[in-house]
Amino acid sequence: MSTPNEPQNPYGAGDQPEQPSNPSGEGAPQQPGGQYPPAPQYPSDPYAQQPGGAQQPGGAQYPPAPQYPGAPQYPGAGQYPGAGGYPQQGYGYPKNTLGVWSLVLGIVGLLFCGLLTGIPAVIVGSKSKKAVAAGEANNGGMATAGIILGWIAIAWTAIAIIGFIAIGGIAGYSDWLNDMSSTSGY
Amino acid sequence: MPGLQRRPLPVPGAGGAASGPRARLSRLRAPGAVAVAIAGATCWLALVDPHTPGQYGVCPLLALTGLYCAGCGGLRATHDLAHGDLAGAWAMNPLLVLAVPLVAVLWARWAARRWRGAPVPPREQPRLWPAWLLLVVVVGYSALRNVPALAPVLAP
Repeated sequence: MSTPNEPQNPYGAGDQPEQPSNPSGEGAPQQPGGQYPPAPQYPSDPYAQQPGGAQQPGGAQYPPAPQYPGAPQYPGAGQYPGAGGYPQQGYGYPKNTLGVWSLVLGIVGLLFCGLLTGIPAVIVGSKSKKAVAAGEANNGGMATAGIILGWIAIAWTAIAIIGFIAIGGIAGYSDWLNDMSSTSGY
Repeated sequence: MPGLQRRPLPVPGAGGAASGPRARLSRLRAPGAVAVAIAGATCWLALVDPHTPGQYGVCPLLALTGLYCAGCGGLRATHDLAHGDLAGAWAMNPLLVLAVPLVAVLWARWAARRWRGAPVPPREQPRLWPAWLLLVVVVGYSALRNVPALAPVLAP
């Protein structure tokens, strides 16, 4: 809650109950609008490990200011009531995992059971897109690739299932299978 | 800064560290649902034998390309495992046999964490390597299964 003596600061630290447990973050720059120090640029290469010392304790984990031209877009301002008090401090882009998982599930869906991993790829990918929009992730390209691959996996599996039904279901397939002298593949 | 006093932690409902038995049980709903789903599917596979060709339809990838993917033989291996036939399961899909204890451990850790209700400790960097490891293992395993020299060991 902003106090009357600071009416110009509606996004003060009091509105951020999800960041309470950072001992060194008291008085860290929480106000919106260009006061974040430029964040270390995390490479989108997920193998690249950020050295631990590069994490500044307060505020530096946010992307640079141009993504937040105005105060209303500030992502930390109480928009995560379900965060349950998990401290956000110390994260780079805490939801970059979503994009990676989406891409991995999409690729696996292409050569695996398409529905089993293609559908999660699309779901996780759209979650990742939301995280990118909220400034919690910076790998939207991976999410896009994962969503596209997921849909391709779903589509070709659906086409195959339709084709399986078209040749007469299990009975028709058994005849076909006898010609192929193969197994079900499951 | 007097105006920047932090509020105490909000006590979240089911996700927090409430320790009453009802809260604990409600937090175990998701792990419980997953366990019931896996157990149910395993029972179904134990009763309806996937070794019978066409019993569960046809694998689209195998039908279209003739290639074995990482999951090929997975249902048959699950059936064999449910009947206590470890060798049979290993012959069908060794990766699945190896994955079962790993999945069990991960599930137990998840359930225990939910039971305690403790928040996940923050990480400096989100962990990305499990996803890439899964990708490498699945793609590599799929490729190796289709190498004729390795087919007797890896292919179903």
